[in-house]
Amino acid sequence: MRNWLVAVMMALVGPALAQTATPGTVLDAAVEQVIRPGMAAFETSAEGLETAVGALCTTPSTQTLAAAQDSFAQAAVAYGQIEFIRIGPLMDDNRVDRLLFFPDRKGIGLRQVQAILAEQDASAIDPATIASKSIAIQGFGSLEFVLYGTGFEDLATDAGAFRCQYGAAIAGNIAAIAGELVAGWNAPDGVAEHLMRPAAEYADYRTPVEALEELVGLVSHGIEATRDTRIKPFIASDGAAAKPKQALFWRSGLTMAMVGANIEGMRKLIEMSGVAREVEEKDKALDNSIAFEFSNAERALALITLPVEQAVADPKQTQALNYLVLVTGSLQALVGEQLSLALGLSVGFSSLDGD
Amino acid sequence: MWQRRAFLKAAGAGFAASLLPRQAMALERSELVFASSVQTSSGGFGAVLLGERGDLIASIDLPDRGHDITISREAGRGVVFARQPGTFAVVFDPAGREAPVTLTCIEGRHFFGHGVFSPDGGLLYATESDFEAAQGVIGIYDASDSYRRIGEFPTYGTGPHEMLLMPDGVTFVVANGGIETHPDYGRAELNLDTMDPSVVFVDRRDGKLVGQLRLDAGLHQLSIRHMAIDMRGRVWFGCQYRGAAGDSPQLVGYATMDGDIRLIELPRDTLLDLRNYVGSVAVSRDGARVAVSSPEGNLLVAIHAEGTRPVLVETLRNGCGLAADDTGFVATSGLGEMIGIDGADRSPKTFEFQFDNHMLRV
Repeated sequence: MRNWLVAVMMALVGPALAQTATPGTVLDAAVEQVIRPGMAAFETSAEGLETAVGALCTTPSTQTLAAAQDSFAQAAVAYGQIEFIRIGPLMDDNRVDRLLFFPDRKGIGLRQVQAILAEQDASAIDPATIASKSIAIQGFGSLEFVLYGTGFEDLATDAGAFRCQYGAAIAGNIAAIAGELVAGWNAPDGVAEHLMRPAAEYADYRTPVEALEELVGLVSHGIEATRDTRIKPFIASDGAAAKPKQALFWRSGLTMAMVGANIEGMRKLIEMSGVAREVEEKDKALDNSIAFEFSNAERALALITLPVEQAVADPKQTQALNYLVLVTGSLQALVGEQLSLALGLSVGFSSLDGD
Repeated sequence: MWQRRAFLKAAGAGFAASLLPRQAMALERSELVFASSVQTSSGGFGAVLLGERGDLIASIDLPDRGHDITISREAGRGVVFARQPGTFAVVFDPAGREAPVTLTCIEGRHFFGHGVFSPDGGLLYATESDFEAAQGVIGIYDASDSYRRIGEFPTYGTGPHEMLLMPDGVTFVVANGGIETHPDYGRAELNLDTMDPSVVFVDRRDGKLVGQLRLDAGLHQLSIRHMAIDMRGRVWFGCQYRGAAGDSPQLVGYATMDGDIRLIELPRDTLLDLRNYVGSVAVSRDGARVAVSSPEGNLLVAIHAEGTRPVLVETLRNGCGLAADDTGFVATSGLGEMIGIDGADRSPKTFEFQFDNHMLRV
């Protein structure tokens, strides 16, 4: 039965994979099948988060708290799938930092959030003013502390009223930004149009090659950022002990879920756009090599089941974390160097990482 | 100018792995010498000295990727700095009499890939990051005492990149790129919302701030990175933009010690071709022309310094390294090419190694 199913699926998928994509179809697919749906999914989950935190404030209970935490996880993971798309609206108005100020090396966000809660700062719970306050207190990092940090249990009772209102203001802000991302990616003559239909008069993308360079660069840089800011900072290295509290979302236990979302988002962009299939015959194996490494990353992720504090003390899970560092390095080289070269994009020793 | 015969000795002193007969002949003929960090075809890292015609004269191995090189005739030494966030610098004897020595940053600092010698060669200075404080510093090393680090000056900003010594011999100019990074997070840029790039003039004798120049506040994401000084003592700089790709701000300008800073107007097509990225800046031998490169845009632009207008635009795939030669500029690429532009009389040459972003004329 299973073999039969596989055979049918191969027959269905095979020709689609084999067909040669063009820059135009790659760019169209990237925007229409990956980026726009990703932004829309984030908006939907962000609205769900806003609703759930609102319900928690109206009816505080352990159930509504659990529902709000659940919605947080869904919205965070939905953002995790698109946060590497650091072009267009995500880069305007500091949205990328306002949504998630991380790494926050000096703990600015935590200090400010604790001060808001301690002083019951009324300006932080006003949906109209929160967006203009510090970028470190209005996104996922702050909301994670509200929902999971010291004192979060208060949220289940009236004692957490102010804390909940602050959480609702953050959730509302996240939903508003999500709406701006969707609007930006659907705006006429906006970044989507420029990316799909590059033209000489545009400052950002004048040719299909420049647009493809952007796509490939997003994945190459995205993998690097996931490795360097979401995995390496908390695992043991060079004789230094592991620092699990440097991990993103260690309080909520969503550290590896975010890494998984990052990887999945980038995999989708490569696979659904078909960019790695738009190469000459001699480079046709690249598409498979990239898919193989993405699968290796996903297999390693599946092995890391414990919260990071325990995972870094568990030999098998530590091994999987170290392997993730290697495999993301390999993915970065495959996409940033080999695929770029195969596509004839402007890459080389001098422009790989800027300096 | 380095003595040609001195280079020949390098072959016997362990400086170069080997000098083939034709390379020895190249050395005999050489007038100019260029230096650059490279990546070899096998993936290793090194630095090379090239003759006037691009003949390989000598090479040294590096433990990791190098960036810019500075050389002092007075000290009889060259130094290759690790690319950021590297922590090594290799001091070598271009004459090959002594084996290279590797310096390591002190705890809590890393290099940014650039530095200069004092005019007498007695001190070496390097741009470094005090990454816990997110502040730039100039590390000071005593050439007469095995390059012991004897102190540091502030750069009055974050993420310093290239530094040069002004013609007066007592003032440094430093480009504070404004971008905060930390070794814990690789090359991730941690402060895009609060970047504050500047050009600073710092007194070499006491580290005091002579002057600090900033572009308009609206350009706070325009990272000022590389510089060269023209015949009038103006400091030409090239920038890399970290804001939205479609903004396309001007990327090239100059600053003066009397407090002027401005961006010049490159034509829109040329500007867009630079792709928000200038990788290096050089001034011609007579100081009248400035060249800038963009490996992202595969573009080289020569600019008339007085008229502040481009006089030549040329493409070079992944081109970044730039140095003056007698009549024009030499440009090198991350794909191993070396060409002449803007009046340089030389034929293109391709090497088996890839050039890093900077080419030094010794």
